[in-house]
Amino acid sequence: MISIVLNDEVVTVSIGTSLVKVLEHQAIELDAVALALNAEVVPKSRWPHIVCQQDDKLDVFSVVAGG
Amino acid sequence: MALTDQAFMQYSRQILLPEVGEHGQSRLSQSHVLIVGVGGLGNLAAQYLAAAGVGRISLIDGDRIERSNLPRQLLFTSDDLGGNKADVAAQKLMRAYRDCHIHCYQHYLTADSAATVFNNRYHAIDLVLDCSDNFAARQLVNQLAIEHKVTLVSASAAHFQGQLLSVNQQISPDTGCYHCLYPSDMSVSQTCQTVGVLGPMVGSLASMQALMSLNLLLTHDATAELPPIAVQSRCMDSRQLLGQLYRFDGAKFTWRQATLARDPDCTVCRVHER
Repeated sequence: MISIVLNDEVVTVSIGTSLVKVLEHQAIELDAVALALNAEVVPKSRWPHIVCQQDDKLDVFSVVAGG
Repeated sequence: MALTDQAFMQYSRQILLPEVGEHGQSRLSQSHVLIVGVGGLGNLAAQYLAAAGVGRISLIDGDRIERSNLPRQLLFTSDDLGGNKADVAAQKLMRAYRDCHIHCYQHYLTADSAATVFNNRYHAIDLVLDCSDNFAARQLVNQLAIEHKVTLVSASAAHFQGQLLSVNQQISPDTGCYHCLYPSDMSVSQTCQTVGVLGPMVGSLASMQALMSLNLLLTHDATAELPPIAVQSRCMDSRQLLGQLYRFDGAKFTWRQATLARDPDCTVCRVHER
């Protein structure tokens, strides 16, 4: 197991867990969020292909459309 | 273009900045900014840019002023209820900032009306500010900015969340576009109508959007015309601002920053590759 930081909270995940699996484990709706990994936005098409590393910092956020 | 004595006095606090100077102020006076949406963001962003001496501003909005707009759309008063937002804002800004030429389009931006708005043969658009209030409009503005090769400065606010980003496919292609970050098929829950917003929350993002716009207008000029050493000595390079997402939490008072990334599968910016 490794620990990552998801929206400022420490979360433990299995070694080899992809970004998309992290979101699914957290019951986060995939169609409603964007994601930054270590301060770099990761396009949704890349989420299944990137595996979490120890101490990775994930920010998951929604689109804000108002103005 | 030389500044008049009156302009020199009026903009003296800006000209005092080495990053602006007379050359930068002159550049602002020759710039043309398109503001899409004249709600909370568009009101304040337009006022800041007109006050700063931006020479030409085009406002586009088909919406009419309602009483619920007044807490955050500060150009408007109860006397303006029912008026077109772009028209009323243009009239007020023209009276207050006589150096600024303001044109208004009293309709919404659509794919059909875009050609008229963007293809101004006499006054090319230097920046597009997305100040709209819905996801579909934001996707359209992004697409049009890419098609017309104009830098997009997009701001948004709802509840206590605000977001700001700027993108340009010619200068910073690796950081992608709005659609790379937010694909058009994603679900959206946060708009001012559904979750509410405080006036200063929108105003904070509008101020940052105007500040980013002024920086981009000034640095576009710097990177194009000044030698490399002069560019390096400036505190801001447009490439440092472009391709960054800034997120503001107005309840916790925190800013977060992330670098945008191009989605190789993006259906918008990929088809407009150079």
